[in-house]
Amino acid sequence: MNRQSRFLLVAVIVLGLSALFWWNGETPGRPGPIQSQTPAIARGGTLVASLRSEPRSFNRLVSRDAATDALTLLTQGRLIRVNRATQQVEPWLAERWTTSPDGLTYTLTLRQGLQWSDGTPFTSADVVFTIGAVFDPASKSVLASGLEVDGKPLVVTAPDALTVVVTFPQPFGPGIRLLDNLVIVPKHKLQAAVASGTLSQAWTPTTPPAEVVGMGPFVLTSYEPGQRLTFTRNPHYWRRDDTGQPLPYLDGVVFEIVPDQNAELLRLQSGQIDMTQQQLRAEDYAVARDLERKGVLVMQEAGVGLDPDVFFFNLRPAFWAHDPRGKWLAADAFRQAISHAVDREAYANTVFLGAAVPVHGPISPGNKDWFWPGLPRYSFDLAKSRALLDGLGLSNRDADPWLEDASGTEARFTVLTYRGNSSLERGAQVLKENLAAIGVDLQVVPLEQGALIERMLAGRFDAIFFYYVASDTDPALQRDFWLSSGSGHIWNMSQPTPATPWEAEIDALMTRQAASGDAAERVRLFRDVQRVFSEHVPALYFAAPRVFLAMSSRVRNPTPGVNRPQLLWSADTLAVTPAAPSR
Amino acid sequence: MTLARFVMRRAAGGVVFALVVASLTLLLARLVPGDAATGEALVMSPEERAALRAELGLDRPLLTQYGHWLQGLARFDLGQSSLFKRPVADLVGERALNTALLAAAALVVASLVGIPLGRFTGANRGLLAQAARTASIAILSMPPLLSALLLVFIAAQTGWFPVGGMTSGRLDGTAWFIDVLRHLPVPVLALALPLAATLERVQARAMAEAMGQPFVDASRARGLSRDRTLRVHAWPASLAPVLGIYGVLVGALFSGSFVVEIVTSWPGLGRLLFDGLRSRDVWLVAGCGAAGAVSLAVGTTVADVLHAALDPRMLERRRT
Repeated sequence: MNRQSRFLLVAVIVLGLSALFWWNGETPGRPGPIQSQTPAIARGGTLVASLRSEPRSFNRLVSRDAATDALTLLTQGRLIRVNRATQQVEPWLAERWTTSPDGLTYTLTLRQGLQWSDGTPFTSADVVFTIGAVFDPASKSVLASGLEVDGKPLVVTAPDALTVVVTFPQPFGPGIRLLDNLVIVPKHKLQAAVASGTLSQAWTPTTPPAEVVGMGPFVLTSYEPGQRLTFTRNPHYWRRDDTGQPLPYLDGVVFEIVPDQNAELLRLQSGQIDMTQQQLRAEDYAVARDLERKGVLVMQEAGVGLDPDVFFFNLRPAFWAHDPRGKWLAADAFRQAISHAVDREAYANTVFLGAAVPVHGPISPGNKDWFWPGLPRYSFDLAKSRALLDGLGLSNRDADPWLEDASGTEARFTVLTYRGNSSLERGAQVLKENLAAIGVDLQVVPLEQGALIERMLAGRFDAIFFYYVASDTDPALQRDFWLSSGSGHIWNMSQPTPATPWEAEIDALMTRQAASGDAAERVRLFRDVQRVFSEHVPALYFAAPRVFLAMSSRVRNPTPGVNRPQLLWSADTLAVTPAAPSR
Repeated sequence: MTLARFVMRRAAGGVVFALVVASLTLLLARLVPGDAATGEALVMSPEERAALRAELGLDRPLLTQYGHWLQGLARFDLGQSSLFKRPVADLVGERALNTALLAAAALVVASLVGIPLGRFTGANRGLLAQAARTASIAILSMPPLLSALLLVFIAAQTGWFPVGGMTSGRLDGTAWFIDVLRHLPVPVLALALPLAATLERVQARAMAEAMGQPFVDASRARGLSRDRTLRVHAWPASLAPVLGIYGVLVGALFSGSFVVEIVTSWPGLGRLLFDGLRSRDVWLVAGCGAAGAVSLAVGTTVADVLHAALDPRMLERRRT
């Protein structure tokens, strides 16, 4: 082949590759498609969703309430995001990344040509600015602790406008997944507030919406306190579907603020809203099914919920120092007996009207990566339960139905639960009946949420039955729950040193699990954690509800996840048929 | 006592009343377990929580906090909401107008329905009057929560009115006014029905009592028709006890609006108070308490002044 022919061949190959890149839409500098979409989705229309509360701020860096989070999902972007339907990490503002051999450094390449919603170019300087704002003590950012590894912050540098280098202070298993917590904010809008130490007062609900600039699919156009938030399409949004159509499909989104859940469903029924903020309650299933049959709305199952309700005894030794019941509670056999006494199938059928699956630990089948079907189970076995209690010296020594120890102390406990939460209140009654069968009495005391948390923090309770929402599916991002020093280690919080050998064992396993970069080893270590947890049952789990969502029949292309907000997390690919809801 | 002096005394009493109510609200909200830092306690370290409590001033003794709040109050500064991170006075000001609109509309509807109906049932004994009496008693026994949910349900089923909210979007001028009118029926009826039933019962009793008075018999003896006697003599005489309960009704309006605003998503003081209570925002709760007490004081004062203007014997009784 002569020189001219070689040149021609190279030119053909280059042109061919260019055409291929062009076809895929991945030409550098052009935002490309990320996932397949249904081809015939029409753009336009406004979707009306409900919010149960008002945003405390427009700034996710300083506020973590549900309304601010929902607003942020619409208006802001992240470098990567965790797809809530698949629970996997996917590229977002960063289109790709590489990892150093030691797993400590991630080099991310930003998409070219991205712009903030006001047209200002988006660069790596915005990322560096955001991470600086998060870790600036004056900012009091609520994101800071979620972006630290063992109390040490991530270090972020920007070698050029399109490259971001994230260095972890130590090996961390979830790796880049941690960056799903990092909402990128515009340097050109917030640098003055950060410089003056007033970030916590920036982007409050009184800020003119035009000031709230973002990389999300929508921009906030108005906030009417107590009534609604209105969003319109971000003209500079970067994403396209696989037909090349710019996203989002919707012209706009409206959040109607509806504090009452009954009223929320009635508004959905009347066509005033298209979807609710969160899943249906079990008691609403029948009504929703009926409305679905009439064609008023559509129900969709998102999967099994991630956070089953949890029952636990107070395992702080100091609380029981002068109470003989503390001796039984400290014994694993007592808690194992309680676990054997609960008929989980019946619990799921009674409390969630059958729309739930029995569970034996904190990780539900809804957690696709970390659920372990082989987890040791406590079958419903009253004889075994009674035998375990008998082994602790607990038997019925008098005329009443309750067990006593040799000193006459009865097996009676007060369990606190959230007032007004119907599934918890029903569940507590089922537990009371189940435990009565083995001679253990539960007095159920529903408390207002704040009062219950306060009692829990102070350690003034016998037992609690409530729900605990995990921040992520990866256990290494839930170390507050697993580690004995954690503020979410609910049965004995914030221990200076592990109170029991098995908690020390879990601490050690979780520390290794979180530090490992080997996915298989992480799974194996976490199974060990679950095994130890199951053996000592510091907290009991009975059923995880299936997450059912209701939406109007005009909603198109929903991709539900099990985490809230189950539908709005992918607002850019949601669509509606033209008819607007009647408001 | 002159009417002017009466008004001044009532106004001074109203200020003291508002201060006492707001102080008690603050005290009670502060004594309930938990505070504004509790909600995020499970995702905070003890140190972070302590820092947040210090930032919000919740680590100071209760009396110090109260004193600080009183100092602010003297400057019409109701403190800073920990929930919304905004001045409480601004939040209360925004919502108080909405509640006032709802309450005023409900009071007008209740008066327009309850008083004529009471006049009718007080003066008649037929089947229709009996049916109206029975309906009043049934409505009186229905708490505002139930009536609100029932009306919201009817609105959802029929589509006659919007199920909730105050407006359908960001509108101005006449369009806004018409839109608000469309949204008023459900919350207004939920609030007004029990009040109308109360007014009907009081008016009916007063009317029946007035009809037994000698001046009514004398009017009839002079040849006035029954209708004219009722309209010109008996009814005006029966109005005094009806006006007397308006002060109480204003109180019922504000307590009722708390529930109705939540069920119908009306952006008023009741909802703000609910949000404040849920998040243990003591300054917001105290601010809403103060606003509610001021509204109540103004409402009862206006009702009493009207009562005194129509029935000067009220001033006489106070003089003795």
